[in-house]
Amino acid sequence: MSTSTDTSSTPAGAATGRPRTGGAGSDGPAARKPGGRDLLASLPWIGPALILILGVVLFPAVVMFYNSTRDISISGLDKGSVGFDNYVEVFSFPYFWPIFLRTIVWVVVVVGATVLISLGLAQILDKAFPGRRIVRLAVIIPWAASVVMTTLVVYYGLEPYFGIINKFLVDVGLIETPEGYGWTRNPTTAFAWSIVVAVFVSLPFTTYTILAGLATVPGDVVEAAKMDGAGPFRTYFSVVLPQLRGALSVAVLINIINVFNSLPILKVMTGSIPGYDADTIMTLIFKYIQNQHKVDVASALSVVAFLIVIVIVAVYVKVVKPTREV
Amino acid sequence: MKKSLRFGTAIALAATASLTLASCGFGGGGSGGDAEGDGTTLDLLVPSYSDATQGLWEDVIAGFEEENPDISVNLEVQSWDNLESVITTKIQGGEAPDIYNGGPFAGFAADGLLYPAEEVVSSETYGDFQESFLANAEVDGTAYALPLIASARALFVNNALLEQAGVAAPPATWDELLDAATKISALGGGIAGYGMPLGSEEAQAEAAVWLWGGGGTFGDADAITVDDPANLPGADQIKKMIDAGATQADPGSTDRSPLMDIFIQGKIGMQVGLPPTVGQIEENNPELDYSIVPIPTQDGSPFTLGVMDQLMAFQNDGDKQDAITAFFDYYYSSDVYVPWVQAEGFLPVTKSGAEALGGEEALAPFLEVLPDAQFYPSTNPQWSATDAAFKALFGQIQTKPAQDVLTEIQAQVDAG
Repeated sequence: MSTSTDTSSTPAGAATGRPRTGGAGSDGPAARKPGGRDLLASLPWIGPALILILGVVLFPAVVMFYNSTRDISISGLDKGSVGFDNYVEVFSFPYFWPIFLRTIVWVVVVVGATVLISLGLAQILDKAFPGRRIVRLAVIIPWAASVVMTTLVVYYGLEPYFGIINKFLVDVGLIETPEGYGWTRNPTTAFAWSIVVAVFVSLPFTTYTILAGLATVPGDVVEAAKMDGAGPFRTYFSVVLPQLRGALSVAVLINIINVFNSLPILKVMTGSIPGYDADTIMTLIFKYIQNQHKVDVASALSVVAFLIVIVIVAVYVKVVKPTREV
Repeated sequence: MKKSLRFGTAIALAATASLTLASCGFGGGGSGGDAEGDGTTLDLLVPSYSDATQGLWEDVIAGFEEENPDISVNLEVQSWDNLESVITTKIQGGEAPDIYNGGPFAGFAADGLLYPAEEVVSSETYGDFQESFLANAEVDGTAYALPLIASARALFVNNALLEQAGVAAPPATWDELLDAATKISALGGGIAGYGMPLGSEEAQAEAAVWLWGGGGTFGDADAITVDDPANLPGADQIKKMIDAGATQADPGSTDRSPLMDIFIQGKIGMQVGLPPTVGQIEENNPELDYSIVPIPTQDGSPFTLGVMDQLMAFQNDGDKQDAITAFFDYYYSSDVYVPWVQAEGFLPVTKSGAEALGGEEALAPFLEVLPDAQFYPSTNPQWSATDAAFKALFGQIQTKPAQDVLTEIQAQVDAG
C-alpha cells in the first residue's frame, strides 16, 4: 500500500497535521468522530430543510400508506383496518396491467420525444441569429401558461362541430365528415394528442436545461475538432453531445418524474371517454377518488405509483450514472 | 458517499413530485366554528346550479338572518364536479357542514351522519312535500333528506329539421324515433338525427332513458340490478340507433352539456333535455323552432326520468337542531321557495310550490310528465357506486356487446 511508504517517508512531525482519511486502520474510528460532530454542528443549517422534507414528503407518505390499509367508507369515514385488501383490489383490477403498460409508453414516448426535439431546438437557439432573443422568449411561453389552459385550447380546437383544428382539417379536405373527426372521443387518438400536448409543455424546461449545457461546451474544443477535420455531425456526436451529459441527465430525470405524475393533460383530453382504454396510473387514481370515492384504494394505488417512480429513477441512476463526472 | 447523497436527493425529488397528487386530498382548512357571540352559525354547502345560484342563496340567507338575528349562516358554493370530493374531505376531517345540498345521501344515512328529515322541519313544512318525493328520500321507512328541486326529462325536437326530413310528427315509440332520426341524419352537412350523450358527464341519465323506456330498471333500495334481462331491449336499441347512424358521431364519449349546445345551434334533430334547457335556448338561440314532447319509449307508454336533489342536515354537535329547523322552515315557506325554484328553472317539490307555478307555460310539458316519473334507486347505499360505474363504463356500449357492458357495470357495483 502506498500509505506505508507515505508514513515511512514523512517525518513524524507531519502526523500532527490533519490525518488523511483511509490512512492506517487504527485511525479509522478516530477519523469518523469529527464527521459526527460536523453533522451535529451543521444541524442548525440543514435542520429547516430536514423538517420540510419530513413534513412535506415523509408525513404525507406515511398518511398515504396508512390510508391504503384502511377501509374508508364512501362518505369518508374510517371503518378500520383491512390489511392489504386494497392492494389486492388494485392488482386484481382487470385493466391494471394494460394501464401500467400505457403509463410506461406514456413516459418513454413523451420524455424521448421531448429530449430529441429539445436537443435540436437548443442547437438552433445556441446559434447567433437576428431576433434570437425573441425566439428564445417564444420557447418559454408554453411554460408560462398553465398546463390546463394549454390543454383546454387543444381540446376545444379538436372538438367536432366548432373546434378550430378540426375545422381546418375539414376545410383542407383531410377529413370528409363536415362536423370533423372525434379526436378526443376515441381512446387511441385522444392518447396520441395528449402525448403531443405533453411534449409541447415539457419543451421549454428541457430546451433551456440543454441550452445551459451547451453554454458550458468550450468553444476551443469545438474549434479544435474542426481543425482536425471533423464534419459537423462528427463534431456534434463525438465532442458536443458527451459534454451535454450532465444537462441531459438532469432534464431526463426531472421529465420522467414530472411526466409520470402528470394528470391534467390526460384528465382533460380523455376525461369523457368511457372505459379504461386511455388511462394511466395517475388518471386511474383520480377516477378512484373522484368517481368511485374509494380513497382507500386510491391510496394503495398511489403507494404503488410511488414505488414505480422510485424503481424507474433507481434503474435510470444505476444504468445511466448521471452523477458521474465527465 | 457523495454519490449516495445525490442518489438520495433524486429519491427525495421523486417522492416530492409523486406525492403532490396524493396529498391533495389531505386535510381541509379549519372553518372557525361558532364563535360569533352567543349565536349559532350554520355551515351551508351547496352546489352551483347556474350563475345565479350564489346570489339566490345569499338572498335567502339575508332574509333568514333578519328574522333570526341570533343565527348566522355560512355559505359555501361549489361546482358539481367538486361537490362530492369536497363533502367527503370535510366529513373525513370532522368538518361536515350542517346543511348540505346534494344528490346521493344513502351512504351518509348508512353511516349514521344525518338527522331524520322529520326532526329538522316543522310538521307543517313536512306535510307540504309531495309524498312521492319524500318516499324517494326514505331509507328503511325514514326520510333522511328533504326534497329540494325536481327535474323531469322530455324530448326536445327541432321542428325545422323534422320538416326538412319529411317527418310528419314527433316520434312516440322507438321505431318511429329510429326512423325519424335516420331520415334527419341523412340530410347530411353535419346534422345528426338524435343527440345521444353517453360520455362520462351524465351517462347514467341517458342510460336510464333507454333502459327504463324498454321496461328495465336499475334496482331498488335493496338491490342494484343493472345486469338484468329487462335492461337488454333498451341497450340493444341504443346499439341499433348507433349502428344506423341515427346519432351524432362517437356517442360513447360525448358529454351532455356540449352536445346540448349543438342542439341549440340547430344541428341536432332530437335530444332529451331538462327544464333549464328552455332557458338556455331562450338565451342563446331564441330563433330556434322547437317543441317539447314526452320521451319515446318501446311501446309508446308515458315515462320520464325524474331527478331530485335534496337538502340534508348533518348531526354534528347536536345543539344546532333548532337553528337548522328554523332555517328549513324559513326556506320552504312559499314566499321564499317559489321564487328560488323559479329562478333556477326547476320543478317545485312542495304542494304549495306546485300550485303557485302550475300556470307557468315553460314548465307545463314537464309538470305533465312528472306523474310518470321514475327515479334512480338513490336510497340504496350502493347507488353512488352504480352512478360512478355508469359514468365510467356505459359509453363502451358503442363498441362492445350490450350484455358485456351491463355485466361489467354490475361487477363494479358489486365490488364497490
